[in-house]
Amino acid sequence: MKYLVETNSLCKQYGNKFSVKNLNLKVRPGCVYGFLGPNGAGKSTTMKMLLGLVKPTLGEIQIFGKEIREKNRMEILRATGSLIESPSYYGHLSGRENLQIVQTLKGAEQKEIDEVLSIVRMEGQQKKKVRDYSLGMKQRLGLAAALLGRPKLLLLDEPTNGLDPAGIQKMRELISDLPKHYGITVIVSSHLLSEIDQMAEDVGIIDKGRMIYQGSLRKLHDKAKGSIHIHVMNPAAAISVLREQKEDYEQNGKVLIVPEREDIRLAELIARLAGKGAQITRVVEQQKSLEDIFLKLTGKQVSL
Amino acid sequence: MWREWKIEWMKVQRRGIGLLVFLFWGVTALWSTWVLHGVPKSQLEDGFRMMIFQLPLMDTILMPTMLAMTASRLCDMEVKGNTLKLLCTMERKEHIFDIKLLTGVCYLTLFVVMQMGMMVVQGALYGFVGSLQPRQFFFFFLQIYVVSVGILLLQVILSFSFENQILPLAAGLFGSFMGLFSWFFPKGFLKKCILWSYYSDLCFMINDWDREAGTVTYYDAPFDFLSLGILLIIVAAGYVAGKKYFLRKEL
Repeated sequence: MKYLVETNSLCKQYGNKFSVKNLNLKVRPGCVYGFLGPNGAGKSTTMKMLLGLVKPTLGEIQIFGKEIREKNRMEILRATGSLIESPSYYGHLSGRENLQIVQTLKGAEQKEIDEVLSIVRMEGQQKKKVRDYSLGMKQRLGLAAALLGRPKLLLLDEPTNGLDPAGIQKMRELISDLPKHYGITVIVSSHLLSEIDQMAEDVGIIDKGRMIYQGSLRKLHDKAKGSIHIHVMNPAAAISVLREQKEDYEQNGKVLIVPEREDIRLAELIARLAGKGAQITRVVEQQKSLEDIFLKLTGKQVSL
Repeated sequence: MWREWKIEWMKVQRRGIGLLVFLFWGVTALWSTWVLHGVPKSQLEDGFRMMIFQLPLMDTILMPTMLAMTASRLCDMEVKGNTLKLLCTMERKEHIFDIKLLTGVCYLTLFVVMQMGMMVVQGALYGFVGSLQPRQFFFFFLQIYVVSVGILLLQVILSFSFENQILPLAAGLFGSFMGLFSWFFPKGFLKKCILWSYYSDLCFMINDWDREAGTVTYYDAPFDFLSLGILLIIVAAGYVAGKKYFLRKEL
């Protein structure tokens, strides 16, 4: 099985508006897949469709190589865990009692409760009523509940929403460790690029319901490579050299922008330009950030 | 389904629903005792008939509120705790609806059984003559139980539909008033259209008040099987429609 989760032309339409359109999600086994997009991009709807909470208008979903249908939905979902939007809990019960409910429903062993409590580092608060928990503790309890039954796949929708910086860091560490230590494939959504950058190996960027980038985060980083800005007094002379050398370039007034390269190749180009009378005043290296890439892809400023 | 049923009873602990049912039963017990105290000894001989007339009247007032509160206590923990999204990945959505209704029905059964037990105890304490006939016992049970199941079903649907539980509770109070007014409606089409009015529509006791003597005499009337049939159809249709609505609602 090449992909643990795969969707084909997945669509969800509300009235005349498509919340998700022709989405082809491909999640490799054993990785943290970052599902990134601005608010309202269709991340939660997609995750809900994967879990069968929302019925797709069109398209198909395959999880563990099986197409999800009403008949086999529960059987497939038994091997998944989820934390969608805000955490689910019974406030009048203790943390442990909440986990007992999930453990019984999933048919997991009793001892798993202690294991997941230890993973989310909540052994000390298990007897407290959940309504007295902080949001961070509720989120961690939600993650513990999702981990019960030793799922092969975990779907986490904005799991760090509303957490304080320490809580965010804890949650990120927990998520990053899951594939390594427990062999769990994780799909984690966020509107925070920096967050996905710290946790995920693969990334899918969604905007207005459409997938605009999908691939490894490393490749996205490669795309974020910088450019060289050459400030010249004589742009005409410089352009003739660049054309002669068949260089990719952009002109912005007296600034010529060429792709980043090795030092030796850059030195050769500068010598040629200087030799043809381009009258170089400055050479500046400009680094493109992931945010610039995101902005270019979505046309929207991303949260940092 | 057994697993889900077991879970439901884990979830309702500390929700105080049993206490709620007991309190409402306590109110009917006190109220009926107060009524019996004011009745001359000669009339108490016909006490069972009187109770079969009086208790549905009390239930008309109290039951819609009690059922609204019960349904709200059962459903709002799912709505407020955002748990339906989680539960629907582990159990069938139709089971969630059925088990909530069934749990409510269990509390309702407890209430009705306690009320019937109370009638027997009061009969012994106040010296009602003769024993309660099984036919009367059975019709009394049908009268209270079927109408209440219908109301409970409506309240479960409302409680699942609204995050703010004020609306379902207001519906319960509205039901109490509608039911009470319906005792003054003539038997006919109007009564059959209002769910809460079936407490009075299914009443199988007639009273005759002798103004001069100041006495009330109670008579058995034939049980209205037509009304019961219509009510059963309404409840069945409500169940199908309510469940369909619950299943179609996206989370």
